[in-house]
Amino acid sequence: MIYFDNSATTFVSDKVRAKIRELMEDEVSANPGALHRLGNHAMDLYEGIRKETADILGAKPDEIFFTSCATESANTAIKGYMSRNKRAGKAVISTRTEHKATLESLEYLASNGYEIRYLKTGLDGKPVMESLEEELGKGDVALACFTLVNNETGAIMPYELVFKTIRTLSPTTVIYLDCVQALGKMPVNLASIGADMCSFSGHKIHSVKGNGILYVKKGVRIDPLIVGGGQQDGMRSGTQSAVLAGAFLEALKEVSEGIEEGLSNVSKINSYLRKELTARGAVILSPDDALPYVLNVSFKGFESETMLHCLEIYDIYVSTVSACSAKSKKVSYVLLEMGVDRKTAANAVRLSFSRYNTMDEAEEFIKRVDEIYDQFLVK
Amino acid sequence: MANVLLARMGEITLKGLNRGSFEIQLKSNLKYRLKRFGNLKIYQSQSRIWIEPKEEENPNFQSLAQAEDIMKAVCQVFGIVSVSLARKFEGDFESIKENAVEFVRELLERNPDYKTFKVESKRGNKTFPMTSPVICDELGGHLLDTFPELTVKVKNPDFIVNVEIRESNYVYVGKMMAHRGLPVGTCARGMLLLSGGIDSPVAGFMMASRGMPLDAVYFHSHPYTSDMAKQKVIDLAKIVSGYSGRMTLHVVNFTQIQLDLYKHSPQDMLTVTMRRVMLQIAERLAQKYDCKCLITGESLGQVASQTMEAIAATNEVVKMPILRPLIGLDKQATCDISRDIGAFETSILPYEDCCTVFVAKHPKTHPHPEDIIEAEKDLDIESLVEAGVLGTEDIVIDPF
Repeated sequence: MIYFDNSATTFVSDKVRAKIRELMEDEVSANPGALHRLGNHAMDLYEGIRKETADILGAKPDEIFFTSCATESANTAIKGYMSRNKRAGKAVISTRTEHKATLESLEYLASNGYEIRYLKTGLDGKPVMESLEEELGKGDVALACFTLVNNETGAIMPYELVFKTIRTLSPTTVIYLDCVQALGKMPVNLASIGADMCSFSGHKIHSVKGNGILYVKKGVRIDPLIVGGGQQDGMRSGTQSAVLAGAFLEALKEVSEGIEEGLSNVSKINSYLRKELTARGAVILSPDDALPYVLNVSFKGFESETMLHCLEIYDIYVSTVSACSAKSKKVSYVLLEMGVDRKTAANAVRLSFSRYNTMDEAEEFIKRVDEIYDQFLVK
Repeated sequence: MANVLLARMGEITLKGLNRGSFEIQLKSNLKYRLKRFGNLKIYQSQSRIWIEPKEEENPNFQSLAQAEDIMKAVCQVFGIVSVSLARKFEGDFESIKENAVEFVRELLERNPDYKTFKVESKRGNKTFPMTSPVICDELGGHLLDTFPELTVKVKNPDFIVNVEIRESNYVYVGKMMAHRGLPVGTCARGMLLLSGGIDSPVAGFMMASRGMPLDAVYFHSHPYTSDMAKQKVIDLAKIVSGYSGRMTLHVVNFTQIQLDLYKHSPQDMLTVTMRRVMLQIAERLAQKYDCKCLITGESLGQVASQTMEAIAATNEVVKMPILRPLIGLDKQATCDISRDIGAFETSILPYEDCCTVFVAKHPKTHPHPEDIIEAEKDLDIESLVEAGVLGTEDIVIDPF
């Protein structure tokens, strides 16, 4: 099997499996909120996990909240900030290339009377700076929402420049950054990035599904999305799960080591595939300076979904946003927003790698693509 | 005292000397469909079929709410017109009043909008001391006293309280309408050409309603269509089998055939040549599995391949009768039936069963015989059909 769909989800690592088994033992699985000795022990364990996670991410422990997924983190950050800070402004800036978790949260705000100002995006997948300046110039911007690494193209946001511009032109604007696709693939240090709120997902870094993180910088106040027993400083109620938090931490530790080696390995795969696919008439839609872990490519003569099903014959797994349908052509909104023409976008397939993918797999992939062209190309 | 189901037969009762065989088939179908609802006694008297639990505590008969699933299952059996949950008991008029009140109370809880009713009575047991009109009068009065919010309305009331006095007494309120038709198994088997669309499941349903057991054939073109498209067809077959009974779905691996057709026949004739090959494969499979006809969801003029000329062009390649129950229906009527049988939501799922690359932009809508000869001149039709029949996966579809 060749799995090139790591931006959708990753396989659970052996270390994470072992850690989960360890954390499911009776003596450590009491309710951290219980007053008895077992409860205290569970709370110590949980807080330890939180502290270690915060240390790796470059944050303080009380800035880290464990959630069920990055979508929950995004919803909490975006809705929670606007709910709590009604006087901060009525406008939010963002781009139309964000993940649906962000876009739908923004739609929710729009339906509640907020003004969402979308910046223009260039073919390089980055927000157009003039557009940013123009929208900030209109004032009243409470929140800015961006993604560090785009999940469909791998485009990296020039966060230093963008954040500097925001801090200069609109110092009170709070910044939310989706870091899901960046974690473990490039250095992520929350203190130096300088965003006010960030989201992370466990299952994209070889943990299990069901765990995410919300980072909220000290001093930024938000309303919780989920209320109840007041766990996690009231920011995210619900009994804390040391198993899920521990799984996240274990995965985080693993991916935080060897980021450079991983990047170097994946870069080779990416460069090889770019070269070979281009030679075969494919159009590379990921920007040249994108994170090499994601390669968006439009295959000539194959609609996205057909190519996906052709590849699955050879036990090769990729993904596509575009769906093949006679009635409605669903095409990636991210690619369209970048200015990719509809026909090219309709043939777009996303290959997404993990550090464990190999050059052998990339070569096998190219071999299979050739076979697919021989066997299944129509026209 | 126990609750029973009273199912009414329809068209079967018009049958002559062969009526018995239809009734036997109907009871056999009911027995098969209802076996998951416990140990039941199913018997017939005149134009009715009674379904009784052998164990008194069978939960499926305890109340109207609990009986809903079994009543729906009865309604899916062709040959039944309607079904009611009836209370069966012995005793005098007092017991009739008690049971009627209890039933009406439950009905009103489920349907708080009901305001008007009437009582209908049948007295088969002539030794019962009250006549039918008297029973209606007395029971109506008692119900009005008990439920002051109700009024009597003889024409189109919200509900009717039925009393039947036979060897036992029966009271029932309201009925669930079924799909009528003839019991499946009373005619020869048909081969349904099933796709993931709206029409073909409805066509299958309609032929099953005339007593026809079904097999189905689906043409799958992976990787041009996804496994989800195939699963959608399996799901649709399952919905149809809820009415027609168990069927075998023959999934033809159509990919290579479609590619050959694409390479060797003109674009504008692709749909016609493709359908001609499909029908021939379906006919071979039908012969193999003892089906006496093919069934399609074609409706005249609906798409390019369903003009009279295109239908004639596809019709001529097979000897078996092709039944087209939707031929004169408009799309809305087909959609209504699709919704009614619970297939619509599945049919409109966005998994296409024919990739757009194989759909001609401007198909020939009125193909002439010479067009067809020209279109097929470079094709070895026999070997394509043979390949289709050989490369078939059979999936048994059970309604449950």
